[in-house]
Amino acid sequence: MGGPAALMLTMGGIGRVIIAHGGDMISPDLNRQVLGSERVLGRPRAEDFGDYLRSMNQFVEVEAIGHEPNATEAAELAERCDIILSCPPTFEERLRLNRAAVEAGIPFIDAAQWGMTGTLIVVKPGETACLECLYPEPPPFEEFFPVVGAISAATGSLAALEAIKILSGTGDPLWGKMLTYDGYRGKVTTVQLQRRALCACCSSR
Amino acid sequence: MKIQISYTGRSYQTAAILPAEITLDDGGTVDDALHLLTKDLADDQQLPMSCLLAVSGEHIGTLASHTNQSLQDRDELILIAPVAGG
Repeated sequence: MGGPAALMLTMGGIGRVIIAHGGDMISPDLNRQVLGSERVLGRPRAEDFGDYLRSMNQFVEVEAIGHEPNATEAAELAERCDIILSCPPTFEERLRLNRAAVEAGIPFIDAAQWGMTGTLIVVKPGETACLECLYPEPPPFEEFFPVVGAISAATGSLAALEAIKILSGTGDPLWGKMLTYDGYRGKVTTVQLQRRALCACCSSR
Repeated sequence: MKIQISYTGRSYQTAAILPAEITLDDGGTVDDALHLLTKDLADDQQLPMSCLLAVSGEHIGTLASHTNQSLQDRDELILIAPVAGG
């Protein structure tokens, strides 16, 4: 999902894109990873994804980091960014990025998928609910789950659209809302999220 | 009163057995609705406690911790199981 989001941001001419993705390209990625292909199987993801993004728009600066940032690195990256898009496979990583965004005071967009469903959460630190308001503890990790590439592309693109809206000051971003797309039924739902008064991440901000 | 039920997210197939609508007595609450929805589910079909809950578009917490508010006729109870697929 981070692939389509990064691709849409790069094609849209965002000034600089930093992607962080550990590991090598493997065949199970191929159903949804628009930045990879069978030609780069077995190669480090970030390096090839960065090359592909650069090939799509020479005017965009692309930085590729070949591992998932730890908390310190995430905080340092947040200080260099105007917005964070969160698309990793675990809630631990998502909550880490959420905290980095809240501490840096920059917008945070979380995009996730399961099967034919996608969810999007848009956070304005200090004003709207953050991801930790919703999940004080990371929900159990699900190692194997179904993913349809079309929902990855759709949800990742919507995340990029929200980022472009926020960065360009255009339209009404989904601040403090969760948008879900139930692709099984073709149903879109938007929920207004509540801040948690005792949120360890954002309540003091 | 009639309450619409929407479920999305993780374990979608399991939740597909949930009814699209339930009937509660007037003054029924979120917990009444949840009890009706889950009482006949097998142990391996139970919804995750971190499942988010919303009533007619307003988030009220999770299955484990939420405001047990009264429901109104035609309210929509939304259940969103946590999703982290990247």
